[in-house]
Amino acid sequence: MDGESRNATVPWDNAMLSPVDRLRSDRADSPTPGLVEGTEPGAVQRSAIFYHAQSYEDLTAEAENEAQRAPEPDRPQGHNEDEIDALVGEKSVERRLNNDPSSESSTKEEDVSSEAWRSHKKHVFVLSEAGKPIYTRYGTEEALSSTMGVMMALVSFVEAEKNIIRSIHADGCKVVFLTKSPLVLVGVSKTGQSDKELLRELQYIYYQIVSLLTLTQLNHIFQHKQNYDLRRLLAGSEYLTDNLLRRLERDPGLLLSAVTCLPLASSARDVVSSSLQAAKAKNLVFSILLAGDRLVTLVRKKDQFLHHIDLHLVFNLVGSSSSFREGEGWTPICLPKFNTAGFFHAHISYLEPASELCLILVSTDREDFFNMSECKQRFMERLSKRSAYQAMKEALKCPSYSVEQVGIPELRHFLYKSKSSGLYTSPEFPEVYQSDEEQERLMGLYQDLHSCLHHPTRPLRYFYRCSETENLLARLTSGFELYLCFSPLATKALAVSAVDKLLKWIRKEEDRFFILSPLTY
Amino acid sequence: MASGAQEKQYTPSLLSFFIYNPTFGPREGEEEKKILFYHPSEVEKNEKIRNVGLCEAIVQFTRTFCPTKPAKSLHTQKNRQFFFEPEEHFWIVMVVRNPMIEKPNKDGKPPAIEYQEEEILDTVYGAVVRQCYSMYKLFNGTFGRAMEAGGVELLIQKLEKFFYRYLQTLHLQSCDLLDVFGGISFFPLDKMTYLKIQSFVNRVEESLSLIKYTAFLYNDQLIWSGLEQDDMRILYKYLTTSLFPRHSEPELAGRDSPLRPEVTGNLLHYGRFLTGPTNLKDPEAKFRFPKIFVSAEEGYEELHLIVYKAMSAAACFMISATVELTREFCEQLDSLVGPQLTLLASDICEQFTINRRISGPEKEPQFKFIYFNHMNLAEKSTIHMRKTASVCLTSVHPDLMKILGDINCDFARFDEDEEIIVKAMTDYWVVGKKSDQRELYVILNQKNANLILVNEEVKRLCATQFNNIFFLD
Repeated sequence: MDGESRNATVPWDNAMLSPVDRLRSDRADSPTPGLVEGTEPGAVQRSAIFYHAQSYEDLTAEAENEAQRAPEPDRPQGHNEDEIDALVGEKSVERRLNNDPSSESSTKEEDVSSEAWRSHKKHVFVLSEAGKPIYTRYGTEEALSSTMGVMMALVSFVEAEKNIIRSIHADGCKVVFLTKSPLVLVGVSKTGQSDKELLRELQYIYYQIVSLLTLTQLNHIFQHKQNYDLRRLLAGSEYLTDNLLRRLERDPGLLLSAVTCLPLASSARDVVSSSLQAAKAKNLVFSILLAGDRLVTLVRKKDQFLHHIDLHLVFNLVGSSSSFREGEGWTPICLPKFNTAGFFHAHISYLEPASELCLILVSTDREDFFNMSECKQRFMERLSKRSAYQAMKEALKCPSYSVEQVGIPELRHFLYKSKSSGLYTSPEFPEVYQSDEEQERLMGLYQDLHSCLHHPTRPLRYFYRCSETENLLARLTSGFELYLCFSPLATKALAVSAVDKLLKWIRKEEDRFFILSPLTY
Repeated sequence: MASGAQEKQYTPSLLSFFIYNPTFGPREGEEEKKILFYHPSEVEKNEKIRNVGLCEAIVQFTRTFCPTKPAKSLHTQKNRQFFFEPEEHFWIVMVVRNPMIEKPNKDGKPPAIEYQEEEILDTVYGAVVRQCYSMYKLFNGTFGRAMEAGGVELLIQKLEKFFYRYLQTLHLQSCDLLDVFGGISFFPLDKMTYLKIQSFVNRVEESLSLIKYTAFLYNDQLIWSGLEQDDMRILYKYLTTSLFPRHSEPELAGRDSPLRPEVTGNLLHYGRFLTGPTNLKDPEAKFRFPKIFVSAEEGYEELHLIVYKAMSAAACFMISATVELTREFCEQLDSLVGPQLTLLASDICEQFTINRRISGPEKEPQFKFIYFNHMNLAEKSTIHMRKTASVCLTSVHPDLMKILGDINCDFARFDEDEEIIVKAMTDYWVVGKKSDQRELYVILNQKNANLILVNEEVKRLCATQFNNIFFLD
């Protein structure tokens, strides 16, 4: 198990990675700038949890690749004509997902010719290739059908010239197009984000929709009936997309292509992991334990990797709906980065009624509900006997930490991502960024830095920006990504020394912030 | 194709350039009337109409979301289109093909083409389109003026005449940050020499009272101008990228022979007209000068542009177009200005050499920089070699120039003072500073430097080159 290779994990240009199964004693104690992937603070000891070919989304030509590389999970159902008809007929997503009643937001009813509608910072539209509306973030699809018709006309017009439309730019506003046959996604943004960032967000929305239907089914539907109204199938699931869009604005994990963990002593985490490992079943592929938006642990079937996008979709599904609190949930879910063709079946339940701890057991068999339920029982039985359970519940009381603990003056906030593990850590927002508006502004600054560092043709190693409101420093090495936010009073000398100091601190705390020894069944 | 065939790289190039007014053919079937100019002209009519239609649709669609800010560019896989509405309802569109790499394909298949979509900077080419209009306006006045004078027919005629030639001088592959600034390079001068030039200008304007405005340049750099800044900016562009380079060769030849064959009387001087008559002695000589339009109290005024040069010194005299210029006037100007300008030119040259000697021998510095001041349009670049008519050579890698462009875009987004320091993958450091309308960009080639060293290096540069300018630290 230790020696298994992380196939297809070819981050950046560094093909000669240090062995992943190095012992803890091998790991450099002082984090030097020469850290390569696998030795940075937070690097995994054995093998990666996630399937991440690159830390930045490859936006082109991935659909072709993934068909080849994704192992086929057992597909309990064939995709034949009858099934589609059945789906179209009655088995809509609404029933399966039993959505949150609060999702019926008032934003839907606003007047699409009003100034208020126009002045939203980010619009997202999804339409079919026939120009039929599928989703709009604001307003109703009906009222926007002519606007979406124009969007489709622009896409087809440029396509007719054997070309592809990408974006339209005006001062302070841009429109970005993403064609993912059979869907077209359009984002209209006044946020100043780069095209690449906006495309990445549209990509998430695309995967969100695929996760509800599978790409095979989507293709099948539109081949069958070109101007099919997909809203019939997606009715009641819009809140998932709404919620995902809010996450994209707030959650650094979606920006960094990483997830963050609940800070927990490694001894306790290891016990939780091994309890999950023990509660295995034939068709169980992934066992995921979440605490709110934080990962506690993830145990996977050997050779099967979970892509961070898929994990974020699971986070979004769980976080968007309160119905899973009512008991054990059983829902089909397609993990599009794993396989766009088939459904997995997820057993979702909270460990205790009022707890934040949510267990997700992903199986390949649609008839596996009782098996999964039993896995959970076994896990609970094992865990409740151990002190680790109590430790975990204690840890839930302070799921974050303050930046003061690092002890660097003028440092307000930071994001640190370990590339080999695909995990990141970040303190809670400090006083100055308490309001939603300020938090989103800070996220916007991080997004800018991220875009500059990951520029598709002119990537940067180092970015320092000094402005009237804050000083920012971003660094990219083969092992980690680091974003620091200082008060405007911080000097360059301080910023330079802060990097080393922070890396040392993270190294010291890595046991708590990262999952260093992920397990497989 | 042989399997060992090389990849071929193509730089960005002009695909098409057109001007239309959607109000000219509002009815169906009349779309062609909207099109006032279309390059390349041999494009089939329906395709022209379709391409104009797409632009109209993009502009209209963008209004759905921001009614007040018009669309400026459209990005596609193969090209970028830039839109500019200089006068109400008149749209100029420039379509630039993305740079691409042609990869030879084995088995006799056609080569694979890969478009490099991230190479073109919107700010740079947007500025190029605006420059196209400014240049048209300098020599023709506004579109509206042509419409008033002779309707659509005259406008179409003028556009054809101007852009047919002008577009050939566009060199899209070498456009960069300097096009965004559109600045003016000023000649550094001591007070004494500066006063000499000013008194020369005053004397000439007094003796030849027809002269309305004067501009004085040395070595392609501006010393004195009586025009409005924006007019001077575009005139400067014309002089330094078009007129001067065209005349540089004969001048070099002239320097070798101390006496011009056509020297008159006992006045020995190197003065000659760059616009108007090439030889005053020629009885056939025509006394026609190019006309330019500059801003004035009531809109604009039309002027004759006389450019007169002696050695490296050039004086531009502008005279109201209502006056007819005669042989007598030109002879008078030649005899008055020629000897004085020759003298001034050698004075400046001497002063310049002395100053250079004082500042010490030039050693290859560790850094290169671009400076621009939005207030007086002053620009200075040690990155660019001398500009010629056809190419603008830079001494750094194009990717670094694009990083400068990226930083400039970033500065443009926020109004406040800022500093950005980045390290590229090639280990070059790039520093951008924006402070009180001034922008400074420095490229340092110090692989092992860190942020602190880079900061000190730039401080040193500011102290030596811009000792009296305050930059945010």
